[in-house]
Amino acid sequence: MTNLSETNLYDAIVIGGGHNGLTAAAYLARAGRKVLVLERRYLLGGAAVTEEIFPGFKYTVCSYVISLLRPEVIQELELYKHGLHLLPTDGSFIPMEDGNYLASYADEARTIEEIRRHSHRDADQYHEFGNMMYDIAYAVKPILGMVAPDLTSPGITGLNALRHLGVHLKSLGKKKFHWLTKIMTMSAYDFVGEWFETDVLKAYLCTSGIIGTMLGIKSPGTAYVLLHHFMGELDGAFSAWGSQKGGTGGVSEAIASAARFYGAEIRCNAPVAQVIVRNGQACGVALEDGEEIYATTIISGCDPKVTFRSLVDEKDLPSDLVRAIDNFKFRGSSGKVNLALDGLPEFPAMKDKSLIQNTLFIAPSTDYMEKAYDDAKYDDFSKRPFLECVIPTTTDPSMAPPGKHVMSIFVQYASYNMPLHGSRDEQREAFGNAVIDTMSEFAPNIKDLILHKQVLTPWDMEDQFSITEGNIFHGELTLDQLFIFRPVPGWTRYRTPIRNYYQCGSGTHPGGGITGGPGRLAALEIMKDGN
Amino acid sequence: MAEEKKLQKKLLAALAVGAAFGAGIALLLSPRRGRDFRAQLREGGMSLKERVRMGRGKSVRSPSDIAEAKPPLSIKGRQADYDGVVVGGGLNGLVAAAYLARAGRKILLLERREIVGGAAVTEELIPGYRFSSLTDDSGCLPPKIVSDLDLGSHGLNFLSFDPLIFAPLPGATSLAIWEDVDRTVKEISKFSPADASSYPGFIDRMGEYCQVIAGIKNMTPPDLPGLGIRDILELRNLAKPVRGLGRKNLAQAIRVLPMSVADLLNEWFESDIVKGVIAASTVKNISLGPREAGTAYMLLYNWSESSNGLFLSNRRAAGGSGALAQAVADAAVSFGAEIKTNQEVARIITQGGQAAGVELASGEQISAALVVSAVDMRTTFLRLVDPYYLDRSFVQHVGNINYRGTMARVHFALKRLPSFTAVKSDRANLLSGRIQIAPSMTYLQKAYDPVKYGHFSQQPYLDIQIPTLIDPSLAPDGKHLMSVTAKYMPYFLRQEDWNEAGELLAQLVISTVAEYAPDFSECIEDLRVITPLDMENIYNLPEGNLTHGQMTLNQFMWMRPLPGYAQYRAPVDYLYLCSSAAHPGGAITGLNGKNAAREILKDWR
Repeated sequence: MTNLSETNLYDAIVIGGGHNGLTAAAYLARAGRKVLVLERRYLLGGAAVTEEIFPGFKYTVCSYVISLLRPEVIQELELYKHGLHLLPTDGSFIPMEDGNYLASYADEARTIEEIRRHSHRDADQYHEFGNMMYDIAYAVKPILGMVAPDLTSPGITGLNALRHLGVHLKSLGKKKFHWLTKIMTMSAYDFVGEWFETDVLKAYLCTSGIIGTMLGIKSPGTAYVLLHHFMGELDGAFSAWGSQKGGTGGVSEAIASAARFYGAEIRCNAPVAQVIVRNGQACGVALEDGEEIYATTIISGCDPKVTFRSLVDEKDLPSDLVRAIDNFKFRGSSGKVNLALDGLPEFPAMKDKSLIQNTLFIAPSTDYMEKAYDDAKYDDFSKRPFLECVIPTTTDPSMAPPGKHVMSIFVQYASYNMPLHGSRDEQREAFGNAVIDTMSEFAPNIKDLILHKQVLTPWDMEDQFSITEGNIFHGELTLDQLFIFRPVPGWTRYRTPIRNYYQCGSGTHPGGGITGGPGRLAALEIMKDGN
Repeated sequence: MAEEKKLQKKLLAALAVGAAFGAGIALLLSPRRGRDFRAQLREGGMSLKERVRMGRGKSVRSPSDIAEAKPPLSIKGRQADYDGVVVGGGLNGLVAAAYLARAGRKILLLERREIVGGAAVTEELIPGYRFSSLTDDSGCLPPKIVSDLDLGSHGLNFLSFDPLIFAPLPGATSLAIWEDVDRTVKEISKFSPADASSYPGFIDRMGEYCQVIAGIKNMTPPDLPGLGIRDILELRNLAKPVRGLGRKNLAQAIRVLPMSVADLLNEWFESDIVKGVIAASTVKNISLGPREAGTAYMLLYNWSESSNGLFLSNRRAAGGSGALAQAVADAAVSFGAEIKTNQEVARIITQGGQAAGVELASGEQISAALVVSAVDMRTTFLRLVDPYYLDRSFVQHVGNINYRGTMARVHFALKRLPSFTAVKSDRANLLSGRIQIAPSMTYLQKAYDPVKYGHFSQQPYLDIQIPTLIDPSLAPDGKHLMSVTAKYMPYFLRQEDWNEAGELLAQLVISTVAEYAPDFSECIEDLRVITPLDMENIYNLPEGNLTHGQMTLNQFMWMRPLPGYAQYRAPVDYLYLCSSAAHPGGAITGLNGKNAAREILKDWR
């Protein structure tokens, strides 16, 4: 055993400067640990980055809304002091195929009036639906802030966690508990269908049930994903979506700035090749350029595949874990198109032009949504995809030159396993064209406005952000991959079979989205171990 | 105490009347509910809306709110013509009646049709040919019920077949699943050596998980989230299988439940063909495709009641599914139960909010200490029980139960056996089990897709059985009969109408079978189609769903038939539920009837 070089010794090294890695680093540094974050790319944030790919235009390359960021993370790390500046989005606009539209507003009364245009019954139901969702969201919230119990070895802590869970569930009362079980098991379409009759309203509400998931709105389990997104919490108000001034990268910057403030060291352009394991114990990392850095604790902010199958050697892991990780479902389902625009696109269906500030949904009917899925589930991209777009320059003009705009289009579905027709470049082009063609059905002038476009397929997401199969959540949010099963039963508590090696990415509970939840919970668990 | 109760009742009645005249509340009816369902209700004299309004309580609540703390019932000492009346002579009604009679209760069972069995009937749909009208899967009755009711001495006899599944594939190849695991391994190795080596491990592992499922099916579900002493005692059922599994496997077993069967099989197998052949039977009784979450549970569900340790039983009752029901009926009679057919129950009589008997369509009234409903939830609560005694939210939730049948049956009288291209002429025994047209997982999933848009599959999944190969008595000498379950055929069609689409369906089935057995159409002597609409009209299965409500995760265990009512007790005192709508759901197991009888007898003490 060689002596470790004292100058290289850190308390903890975090692999990956995504927002969860940064969050974990910030929490550890805040507790007085000497922390080093190693990021492969030239900038921090992982999938939450802003990049100026086309001169003068700032693209929020991947993640584009911040609604799930956990309030305790904002508070405890004092993110507002470090540059977090959230701009609320006002609502949504959903053009329909017959020229009509549906809009929603931050003001519920206005939304109800808008829904009344489509159905009186639905308008009357809307408020109660919101209340119900609010109730369930409050019932689930403590579970998201809870370390998942380990079913495979219920020791004292495990039993205690189970007891906490039991007490919590019991405290909900029957009504909320049954709503909860329902939302965990139903399809978004059926769940919403018990409340509403207007097709476009159902389609719109269902959209958040499928984001990041290779499932259709009629697939059981999607109601939970809907809830996952509903829990977006912005300044304490449930389900108010917002975006960061200057693009999503600003959130990562704020967390990084907090981490630095507490004393963490952050290095970009430092790709980690391998975790150094000696005697079943992690003790450092080897960078791709051969540099070795040692630390007491190594934390991976990468997804489970990278964490277990690429950073460490198979021989250091039990075979059932290897098998479980190989079976872990990633199945990237989404793509992204970023546009630099010469002006604002015009939607003929949009009577009130100020609605352009809203999130625009191309989700005109439930059939449309389901058909988009049907294309993709046989390994292709949707010919007419579901699109969710924001034009951040309508509220934050600093992101583009004066008079110009950037448009951020989230696209679903695109299968990671789509067959190659020609090269990847050609396939990407075809995919991008399907998106623009679909968009121009609803905003005919868009093609004339495009100055530059950036198209990301699931392959590109995998290459650029190192997320396996391009899944933005580091693994699908299905029932068998949540909570006590995330990422795999037995290793839900942020630990790994290798001593001093921890995981803190979105592949751990409570899962994906810009939440900071996994990073925070992992840091707390690590400190419990005395590391 | 009695005074207080009376006052309470008066208050409640006043409230209900007030509510009935009060402003109409917004309704939650999904527009996807079929016209038929509403029309039926209106024909019955009251729309769902009116029924909800008649009910007690305030607007929308969880069904279980209403189920809060009821005093324990005591049935002992109630005066009536009978101790219990069972409404409906389906298999579960018969099993419940038999168990209750066996415990010394005076039981009357009333069946609307001229024969008992419900969905488990053998009928001479074509003269000389006796078909199992709705299902051939009669081989999964648990041995415990067979021995408890001594069904062997009442004529029940199982005939077994091997292979379990014969799946003809395009290009005159085939894959058979045999009772002998090694033989199956050899078959599978034609498609994938890796899958062949995974297969025995898969069978062992899933077989272990099934022990837990078998325990779950035999227990009364807990009334979650609270756990009473009763519930904890019930959980003892699980102690043994759970210990057997070990902690690690237990977590894995629980993980499997909400998965899709496709995901589960992807973890074990690579060949789309092998996966399709194993997955098909799991979606036979559910209206979802193999990629939908919750279908893995159905794999284990079928598995846990299998007679041979594999994922499907390989036996049928001699004389068809109806013979099995008849054996249970004979057993019930031998224990002293009375069974009357051609007796349609028009309503369940309630007195002071308590079930007190039934009124027949003829107007005759029969009093009973308790009433057991062996019919589905919709019939029970939207037709038979006076809505005045029901909570309005409860009525609404009954209206929301997901049925959506997607299965049709086509029965053929055959002059001779069709020759399948994949079967050599001397190997007809290959056809004695299930002949499954579902050549791959992708095929299955694609068969499901049109359902979502209200069309039926143009390339359907077919489960074909020729029971005469092992039970020649079902057809005239030298002739055969063939029954086909065709999926997916949605009850809700957007364009066609089931009154006319039956013909189309028969043609589709014939042409699909002919792809694998080119001379099929020449073998046909006659045929009968049972559409999802027929299943509703003739067999009283809402929306043509064989299992009285889909076997999906949200209608599972403590949520079946509705949260708060999973313990076989209805919101009306002295009314019990024992149909497939209750836990553990559909399939010819009789467990619903057995579990319900157990709960009823508890209340009798």
